[in-house]
Amino acid sequence: MYLNRKKFLEMTAAMAGSTVMASAMPWFSVFNNPAPFGMGASDRVRVGVIGVGSRGLTLLYNLLELKNRMNLEIAAVCDNYEPHYERAKEVMNGDVAAYKDFREMIEKTELDAVVIATPLHEHAHQTIECMRAGIHVFCEKAMARTLDDVKEMYDAHLETEKIMLIGHQRLFNPVYLQAMEKIERGDIGPITMLRGWWHRNTPWVFYDDTGGRGTALDRQRNWRFYDEYSAGMLTELGSHHFQVANWVLGEVPVSVMGAGSINHFDDGREVYDNFGLIFKYPNGVHFTYDCITSNKHNGMQVQVLGNDGTIELESNMWFEEFPAEPPAVQQLIDDITDDENATIPIGGATWIPNAPIRLGGRYISPDYELNDTLLYMEGFLNFVRKGSAPEKLTIEGYNASIWTLLAEEAAKTGKEVKAPDRYIL
Amino acid sequence: MSKTVHHSYYSMGTRFHLMLPGVDEDYGFRIFQKVKNELNRVEKKLSRFLPQSDIYRLNIAAKRHSAKVDAELFDILKACKLCHEITGGAFDPTLRPLYEYQQKMVGAFVPDELFYDLKDKLGFEKVQLDEDNSVVRFGSHMLEIDLGGFGKGYALEKVKNILENSSLKSAFVSFGESSVLAFGNHPAGGPWKIGMNNYLKPGKTVTEFEVSGGSVSTSSNFYLSDDGRLENHSHIINPKTGEIDSNQVAVSVSARSPLLAEMLSTAFLSMSDDEIEDVVNQYDEVSAAKADYSSGSPVITRYEKIEIAEDISV
Repeated sequence: MYLNRKKFLEMTAAMAGSTVMASAMPWFSVFNNPAPFGMGASDRVRVGVIGVGSRGLTLLYNLLELKNRMNLEIAAVCDNYEPHYERAKEVMNGDVAAYKDFREMIEKTELDAVVIATPLHEHAHQTIECMRAGIHVFCEKAMARTLDDVKEMYDAHLETEKIMLIGHQRLFNPVYLQAMEKIERGDIGPITMLRGWWHRNTPWVFYDDTGGRGTALDRQRNWRFYDEYSAGMLTELGSHHFQVANWVLGEVPVSVMGAGSINHFDDGREVYDNFGLIFKYPNGVHFTYDCITSNKHNGMQVQVLGNDGTIELESNMWFEEFPAEPPAVQQLIDDITDDENATIPIGGATWIPNAPIRLGGRYISPDYELNDTLLYMEGFLNFVRKGSAPEKLTIEGYNASIWTLLAEEAAKTGKEVKAPDRYIL
Repeated sequence: MSKTVHHSYYSMGTRFHLMLPGVDEDYGFRIFQKVKNELNRVEKKLSRFLPQSDIYRLNIAAKRHSAKVDAELFDILKACKLCHEITGGAFDPTLRPLYEYQQKMVGAFVPDELFYDLKDKLGFEKVQLDEDNSVVRFGSHMLEIDLGGFGKGYALEKVKNILENSSLKSAFVSFGESSVLAFGNHPAGGPWKIGMNNYLKPGKTVTEFEVSGGSVSTSSNFYLSDDGRLENHSHIINPKTGEIDSNQVAVSVSARSPLLAEMLSTAFLSMSDDEIEDVVNQYDEVSAAKADYSSGSPVITRYEKIEIAEDISV
């Protein structure tokens, strides 16, 4: 069920005055109040893409789509891996400045913004150098490999006053927008727990022809397997859901505990192929989370559990704990309580709800298939045009990354880990 | 005074209520969990809305070629075929495309050539069942199966199995209020008394069935909202005319089998009194009632099996 743009804009306009939009997701208002985009060359936003591997190519395609309706120029692409470098030039039909060194790119090509989709350990210095060069940054998640790098990126963003947004695309997903409204309205009652998981059955090998684990090429291409470059599924998958938990609760955790191991894909990789975590939040609310790459039965989910209902964010569903009782059912229960066998006035055609129900739940949003990455890119370009983005959006990415790396520490040490003061904003 | 464990949730597009009088709360919850798992399994199998369901896939595959289905789905289709035959075609789960065709029309529906052409291409008799190989083929590319008039009865049949295999003596199940299962006796003694709700006086009944270990299913083009408003819900196709049935009639069928009650209540809505009598007379423990509101007040017709006295003369 595709949510077309007209409906999306109607929805965001209708919610513009709501508390939830103002407090939890003010960035959605940019779609109804976009930056004035003149069509002249001076109004054109010039964007460069650093890293055009699997994710970077997707972002490039999204930018190309936006080019059809925004005054945008994809002025440069950059990748130090020859096949990706060549592929990006081909995608752009050669009509782009191509580089293998991002420093050369930002020095030689005038840019308003960059999109960074390089391996995790490259994010910090690339983001910081771009912002210091006066360029706004959209950087893929997670932010960086170390806590200090995450903080340094944030500090550089404040110091340079350049936009720094982190690619947690659920922040721009209309289903999440409507789910947050439901939660705010009290449809599921007080939130008492969150549960999440990301389960897949795949060795997660991006490149097969690298000569195996440990080779220089494998370290470059399958960087997600190496502790020096990545925390594996924690940073590359889990961080998305950790961001969602913080966002839904409007808080950051008090602490995190966890454990992880390599129990199936023991092929020389250095990162867990499974882990389990418990995040403690204020008011006694917990978020339990597990990730596995050797079983896909449960798929991917974030559940928000309230006293009156459950929201399943990844599947766009909400479930009521207590469906309304029809009058005949109420009467029947009263009669049984009173030990009376009276006639039950129940027979009639099937009761139907005012919205479709599937497998015990209702859709949060009846129309939901909208490309949230595209919306995020569109939002980013509008913010670039305006010169600033909501700080809360940047902080969402920051806190997700901090708590991802603290979770890694908890899993590695087996200790309950709290955030050191210097990382608390 | 007896405490009742009561659980409810949404299933198959409506609400499901399970009431277990006088049972331990934990045991009652375990029964509910079993029931819920089974209902979800059945919905995943039979829903035409879910792309992974067996019916969804069959509706695509059997138009193009012979489609192998599992034993459960094949038995379901055989049950549909049997009911189609005993009701003279009145039970027909292939007519959904006619409903959708009429829904697209603006203003009063007037049958046109395309409508008659579509009607000719539908009908359960065009569903070919190869019993030796559990293979199904549709004799028309327009045909598709919608088990909306079947699913709740089938699910209640499964619920009945769960209850029979438990230590429960008594239970009451309401599936969207249109399909109910009365298991055992009422805790106050005697059979459960299940009334047809009076559309004009909600909360009052026009007639009732006494049921112990059986089911009552009701079909109608209207339903009552919880606050007593009568809502139009014309969704059943009259197989004779192909048009959406708009009679101001409700039909209830009581049967030991929830599935039989479900299928017959849908079929009886478009059958004459004589035709209904003929079907009722073929079964033990099946009875029916029709409430006709077209005159402004309910006119009730009951259908019971005619017992023929054994000839003992010598």
